[in-house]
Parts: sequence; C-alpha cells; structure tokens
Amino acid sequence: MKTFLPWLLWLWMCAVLVGAFLYAPPAAGFAEGESSRILFFHVPMAWVSLLAFVAAAVWSVRYLYRGRDPRHDRAAAVAVQLGLIFGVLATVTGAIWANVEWGTWWNWDPRQTSILLSMLFYAAYLALRSAIEDPQTRGRLSAVYALLGLVVTPFLFFIVPRITFSLHPDPVVNTQGKIEMESRMQQVLYASTIGFTALFFWVHNLQCRLQALIERQSEAGGSRS
Amino acid sequence: MWPQASAWATEAAAVFAKDWRSELRTRYALNTLALFAFTTLVVVSVSLGPLGVSESQGTAVLPVLLWLILLFAAAAGLPRSFVHEEETQTAIALRLAATPSALFCGKLAYCLTLVIALEALITPVFLAMMNLSVGAPLLLVLVLAAGGYGLAAGSTLVAAIIAQARGKGTLFSVLAFPVLLPLLLLAVELTRQAIGGDPAGVALTQLILYDATITVAALMLFPAVWNP
Amino acid sequence: MSPLPETSLRFAGLSRRFGRLAVLDGVSGAVAPGEVLLVTGPNGSGKSTLLRCLSGLLAPDAGDILYREDGVTLEPAERRRRVGLVAPDLAFYADLTVEENLDFFSRLRRVAPARGRELLRRLGLPPDRMAGALSSGMRQRLRWAWALLHRPRLLLLDEPFQNFDAAGEQAVRELLAEHLVAAGLAVVANPGTLEIDRVAASLRLGD
Repeated sequence: MKTFLPWLLWLWMCAVLVGAFLYAPPAAGFAEGESSRILFFHVPMAWVSLLAFVAAAVWSVRYLYRGRDPRHDRAAAVAVQLGLIFGVLATVTGAIWANVEWGTWWNWDPRQTSILLSMLFYAAYLALRSAIEDPQTRGRLSAVYALLGLVVTPFLFFIVPRITFSLHPDPVVNTQGKIEMESRMQQVLYASTIGFTALFFWVHNLQCRLQALIERQSEAGGSRS
Repeated sequence: MWPQASAWATEAAAVFAKDWRSELRTRYALNTLALFAFTTLVVVSVSLGPLGVSESQGTAVLPVLLWLILLFAAAAGLPRSFVHEEETQTAIALRLAATPSALFCGKLAYCLTLVIALEALITPVFLAMMNLSVGAPLLLVLVLAAGGYGLAAGSTLVAAIIAQARGKGTLFSVLAFPVLLPLLLLAVELTRQAIGGDPAGVALTQLILYDATITVAALMLFPAVWNP
Repeated sequence: MSPLPETSLRFAGLSRRFGRLAVLDGVSGAVAPGEVLLVTGPNGSGKSTLLRCLSGLLAPDAGDILYREDGVTLEPAERRRRVGLVAPDLAFYADLTVEENLDFFSRLRRVAPARGRELLRRLGLPPDRMAGALSSGMRQRLRWAWALLHRPRLLLLDEPFQNFDAAGEQAVRELLAEHLVAAGLAVVANPGTLEIDRVAASLRLGD
C-alpha cells in the first residue's frame, strides 16, 4: 500500500499537468490567455505554503504541551522548510505571471505582499534553529516562535491590503480572486491543489524520516568513537 | 486571592526596581539608546532639513523615519534586559526564585519605560528639526503610547528567546522584525494621519488589538521560553 | 513495603545527553529527612548535571524525579522554587550590593528581609560591598546565604565548600547541621576534602 501511494500521486500530478495545458481553456480577459495556466500551479503552491505554517504551529503545540517529543519538533521544522520553499516558488511564479500580465514583476498586490512578508517568519524561524545547539532548548524556543508567528501573521493579512490599496489604487484589481472560472478550469485547479497538498505531506514524511535516520546515525557514530 | 495577587505584584515591582537600580548605576541602556537616537536624528535632519522637504513629502516619509529610528534604537538597547541575565549567569538564581509571569511583567515594565523615555526624547526634537506641525496631537500621543507598548512587549519576548541562543545581536533583529512588522505598519499609518490632522481610522483599533494579542501571547508563551 | 515518607526525594532512571555525549545514564537514588546523599565520581561523570536535574534547572531526557514535602508531590515548577541550590556557576548582580541582592531575592521569594540580614550576619558578609567586588570565598558565602534565604527543605550542594577559609567553613557546617537536624534533606556533590556528617548513602557516577 505504501509504495502504491507515491505512484498514485505521480499519476495524479501528470493528469494535472495534462489538464492544465490541454484540458482547461485559456482564461478570457487575460493579456496573454495561455499565461493563465501558471495559476494552476501558483495558487496551490501559495496555499500549501500557508498550510505548512499552520501545520508547523500544530506540531509546535504538540511538542510544547504534549511531552516534548523530538519527532514533533522535527516535523515542525521540516514543515517550515517546505513552507519556505513553496512560498518562494509561489512568489516567483506570481512574479512571472505579473510580468506577463501587467508588464511589471511586482505590483504590490496585497496577497502577494502578505505572503512575502509572512515568509520572513519562516526564514527567521530557521535562523533561530541554527543558532541553538542543545536539541531540547532548540525545540522549545523554535516552537514558541512558530506559535508567536501564527498569532501575529493574521494581522498582516488585514493590514497590508488596506495599505497597498490606498497606495496603489490600481484599476486592475486583484484578479486572483475574481477570475470568472469556467468549470473545467475549476476542476483542474482543485485537482492541482489536492495534488500539491498530497505532495507536501509526502515530501514532509520523507524528509522527517531521512532526518531521523541521519540523527540516529550520527549518534551511533559518536558512541562508537 | 488578594494576598497572592499582591505578592505577585511585589515580585514584578521588585524585578522592575532591580533592573532600574542596576541601569541607573551603569547607564548602559540609557547611553546606548540616547546615543543611537541622537546620531540617527542628526543624520536624518541634516540630510533632509536643508532640502526643505515639502509638506506632502514630509507627511509621507517622516513618520517612516521616526518609527525606524525607534525600532533600531529598541533593537540596540532593549535585548540587554534578558541577554545580560544569561551572560552574567544571574539567570540561574532568577530561574529558581522568580515566578515567570511576574518576571516577564517586571521586565516588560522596564522596557516600556525605556521606550517611553526614548519617545519623549526623540519625538519633540524630530518634529522641531523637520518643521512639522502636528494636526492631531492627541492622536499622536495615543499612537506613541500604543505603538511604544507593542514595541516593548514584542521586544521583551523576543529578547527572552534569543538570550538562550548564540549570535544575539543580529538574531534579535531577524526574529523581532517579522513580529513587529504589523505594529510598525499601523504606527506609521496612524502617525501620518496624526500629522495630517485626519481622524484615526480602523488602524487604531487594529493597533490596540495587536497590543492585546501580543500581551496575551507573551504571557502564555513566556513560561515555555523561560523554564527548561 | 514501607509507605513513602511524608518528605522525601526519589529519582529513578535519570538520563541526559548533551549532543552525542550521554552524561547521565539511568541514575537512581533517594534521600530521606535528616540525611545526606553523597554523589561521588570523577570529573565529567555528571554530578553537576544530576544536581541541576534535581533542582529543576535542567529537564532530563528520561526518568522520574519524585519530591514530596509533607505528603504533597511537587511539580517541577514548584520544586524549582522550594529547593536551595549552591553551585559554582551561581552568580549575583554585580552592580548591586550584597544586601541589595538578598533584599531583591527576599522580595521574589516572599520572605522578610530580616532573614537575609540574619544570614549575612551569620556568614560574616559585608552588606554594603558590591557583589561584583567580592572575593571568591565571600562569593561562596553569598551563595549559601541565597540558598538558605527561604528555609528550603531540600538542599542541593555542588562544590559547596570551595574557596572557604576556616571561618567560612565553620559557619556553613553549622548551618548544614541545623538544616539536617530540622529534618531537611541534602544532596552533596564535590565536597572537596571535607568530611560530611550524616551521610546515609553514597551514589557513584561515571564508571
């Protein structure tokens, strides 16, 4: 069963790729209709990036208040790493698309800005981890910081839109939420989101197991010498 | 219940008094903050003053500069409240003797008084040097109070976190900036409104909400930061 | 099977590693009122680490610590506030006088300042000297004063007699004896060359 699931995911993502480029029609009202296809990847990646942060916070709570299990700490750290990667990918794909659509790489779109700013948290979390040697202290303090981040980031999502909107009353309103999506496009988008979410959890699982093995090996190596 | 509460308050007051007694003898934080603030003020006003910044430019840019000065001064002077305890190893005695929530509130009060002193020093000089007339002075005072509180609360908690890590100077800024970013955005926006004489918008409510959120989060999370 | 005493300290299976080094590996022991548990072993065998775990300053990776006072089992947070610790890295506020230091901790521990004055007197500490200007022997006396400030039932003593002259040593011997007579518990590590009375058990680490 376990070896079957990754293959299923692979097939699923292939189907998503096919759907994105061949099945879904180009979006109407876009400067370059075909460019809308990037949204099938950009939106799920942004979603996964946020999901990763929430997941990290959940594991952080478990670590702090449910027995300080190192596995929870590891899971939180890996989630943040993946969240950062997906966040960067989402920002880059967003910038590429913005360039095609509006001619500028960055136009202070509220959602883009909020995601970029919240990624500062991810990076800070990883910087904190690298500055602490003792595993117990590291787990404890980074868990606290993850929760602090979870509590503070929603403010960004309220404040930034108001500020960017007032600074740049762009006639081209944030189009991501307001695309009239044909049903085929919706199908591909949902399928892609599911696929990317599954991809996140699969890679997360692999990375956690890999890190556990590395840690165990370095411990064994230490006691032998 | 009341004897407990007053004992708790005595503890927090003791921490506050101890920090200030130490500070007044060494003047470390006061000197750092004053020097930092003065230097940045001079640079800003000498480079912008003679240019004759127009009023619209001034309203747009100067609030940002004010809050940046406050932010970086805080980063220079506030972390010491916890870092010094760990570095001189007095934290060991403190961990065994103090109630975490009382300790945090005492330290927060100390950092808050430092921030308020800093604001009281900088803001009038800043306004005078930039020839800014404030349209809504009451709003400005409110923003400085609420913004200053958020700055102190966030900085105190982050200081407690990084005190147990390496690379404390740069690490503080890296960790504190994302936490304080909403506060800064709101404070700048409100300062702009205060200078322009506009009524405060929803931003003031959000600022106070942020302050409340940070306080609750800090009180809940600090025991996990402080205790092993 | 005898019932658990009303006040006692028991620990079992304590383990703690730092990085790859297992400093403590399944350590167990017990102390009863009026008794001293002597912890011995070579340098680096984990004696100080054990005392830190018992005080609550360090969380062990595995194992249990059971500390009861008058029939009530104390949580680590409570235990931390109730023990008296003397350890070589314990430091005080250099910019405050000896008396100011003890006053501060008296207020934290909700103890009358008179207690601190009395301990200063008994240990021969100069109240108005800056804590940063103390000699190492005086610093050690201050550590004892701090540890006894709140009349703890459990004393954890790590290198408790270092740097003492004859007067200092005499003073703390008396204090320790009083503590044990009053049904206090003590765990001692690294006593140097001094003889400890009332050692009920010995725990050897790190062979």
